[in-house]
Amino acid sequence: MAFVSLEGVGKTYRGRTGAWEAVRDFSLDLAEGEFFCLLGTSGCGKTTVLNMVAGFEQPTAGRILLDGRPVDRPGADRGVVFQGHDSLYDWLTALDNIGFGLRLRGLGRSERRAKAEHYLTMVGLTGQGAKHPTELSGGMKQRIQIARALANDPRMLLMDEPFGALDAMTRAVLQGELSRIWAETRKTVLFITHDIEEAVALATRVGVMKRGPGGTLKAVIPVDLPFPRERTSDAFMAVFREVHALIHDEIHGAH
Amino acid sequence: MRTDGLATAGGYVAGFALLFLVWHLAATVLVSSVLFPPPLPVLERAVVLIEDNILQEQIVASMRRILQGFLIGSAIGIPIGLAIGSFKLIRWLLEPWTEFFRFIPAVAMITVAVIWFGIGEESKIFLIAYTTVFVVVISTAAGVGAVGRDKIRAAQCLGASRLQVFALVALPATVPYILTGMRLAMSNAFVTIVAAELIASNDGLGKLLWDARLFMQVEDIFVALLALGLLGFATDRIFRFLIRAFAGRFNATV
Ligand SMILES: Nc1ncnc2c1ncn2[C@@H]1O[C@H](COP(=O)(O)OP(=O)(O)OP(=O)(O)O)[C@@H](O)[C@H]1O
Ligand SMILES: [Mg+2]
Repeated sequence: MAFVSLEGVGKTYRGRTGAWEAVRDFSLDLAEGEFFCLLGTSGCGKTTVLNMVAGFEQPTAGRILLDGRPVDRPGADRGVVFQGHDSLYDWLTALDNIGFGLRLRGLGRSERRAKAEHYLTMVGLTGQGAKHPTELSGGMKQRIQIARALANDPRMLLMDEPFGALDAMTRAVLQGELSRIWAETRKTVLFITHDIEEAVALATRVGVMKRGPGGTLKAVIPVDLPFPRERTSDAFMAVFREVHALIHDEIHGAH
Repeated sequence: MRTDGLATAGGYVAGFALLFLVWHLAATVLVSSVLFPPPLPVLERAVVLIEDNILQEQIVASMRRILQGFLIGSAIGIPIGLAIGSFKLIRWLLEPWTEFFRFIPAVAMITVAVIWFGIGEESKIFLIAYTTVFVVVISTAAGVGAVGRDKIRAAQCLGASRLQVFALVALPATVPYILTGMRLAMSNAFVTIVAAELIASNDGLGKLLWDARLFMQVEDIFVALLALGLLGFATDRIFRFLIRAFAGRFNATV
């Protein structure tokens, strides 16, 4: 049985501007421990899919199962790293942000601190735990978000373009760190991006979405390359080209 | 941060010096009338009033009323604002109340307050509480509504219960709004206390103003005005500091 399965999932938003079918007939099975990258152009419905898996929003068609049970609300088993960093708590230090989930579970202060320090180090921010979010750079805030999700030890990580707003160098560093953390923890990851190279570097499978309205999964490509990945290798380039061709068709309307 | 503080303090001193200078010039060059004394005689008169312990008594009387009414008003307003911001049903029920009463200024309630509570402390405390409560309710409720969606969602997917989302996310995120509301309410409180003391009181800065008018002691009027301005300025600084502290720039822990 798949860990997570999306069965014919659809989402139609109804608002003042009328109904908008953001996602249509989206089906996907995720195995425990895999790193799935969802690729697609802006507005194709990636965040909508992630929000439904997270339980923030309910599908208007089909269903989403986690361990065979329907997802109907957010839970500590699915950690989310949000697009943008409005989700950090400005009134808490970086360390207390990371330890927030542990505090919710009633862990003692010293135990919480020790664990939070561990994850602070894991994302490469040793010694910066006393800073507040307003005193951190964009890349640092993304790392705090990742550390906060990891410290809570979820079964699954849902990441919405976590490195989207970063410069190429910082992005490459964080991709390397994330890949290493994933190799260590083997958490199931659903990772959203519109960067093809990022997807091929990180994923065990890459899914390409079709443009909306009615965004859906167009193709799924397995990436059977060893980690850490050699981005200049022929094998890497071959997968890159394959994914690129799919996206290119998507943008330029070929079928 | 320390040099910042020094620069601010220096700026304030210079600003007040300029204010006194303009006042002096206006009173000596522009107007030159016994009805508009320059700063020096006013300050001299203030020293006399302080030596006679009169000014302190009026200040204490007014500030005590402001503080009591303000604390009562805030203590009532904050929970109501939180409830209005959190629950639609309570919003629908109470919004007519807040929207109705906030257009009846406290000054218009003075007569009612005096009829109900007499001219003693109760009527003033009631009026200050009244003027405080609606401002605090409205800004608190607005603060709850403005908590970022992702902040709440992040807590939910870290396993927060509804109560935890409220206590650990919505509440601290709303604190700056609550303080802003209290800050606005405080300036309303100054307006209200003077009006109330002018009309019905045995002491306070408003009474000092009223008596000075009766006996044409122009300097006394200006001493009272100066005291009001400085007290208001000081209280407002305190609020500004608290708001910035809670906005997370200083090492605030909530
Ligand atoms: N709350 C909402 N109400 C109405 N329409 C929405 C809502 N959220 C998203 N949409 C619409 O659904 C479509 C998909 O949005 P979504 O945020 O999932 O895109 P995305 O693939 O994540 O894009 P990006 O890469 O730019 O983040 C868009 O057309 C958007 O306008
Ligand atoms: Mg998105």
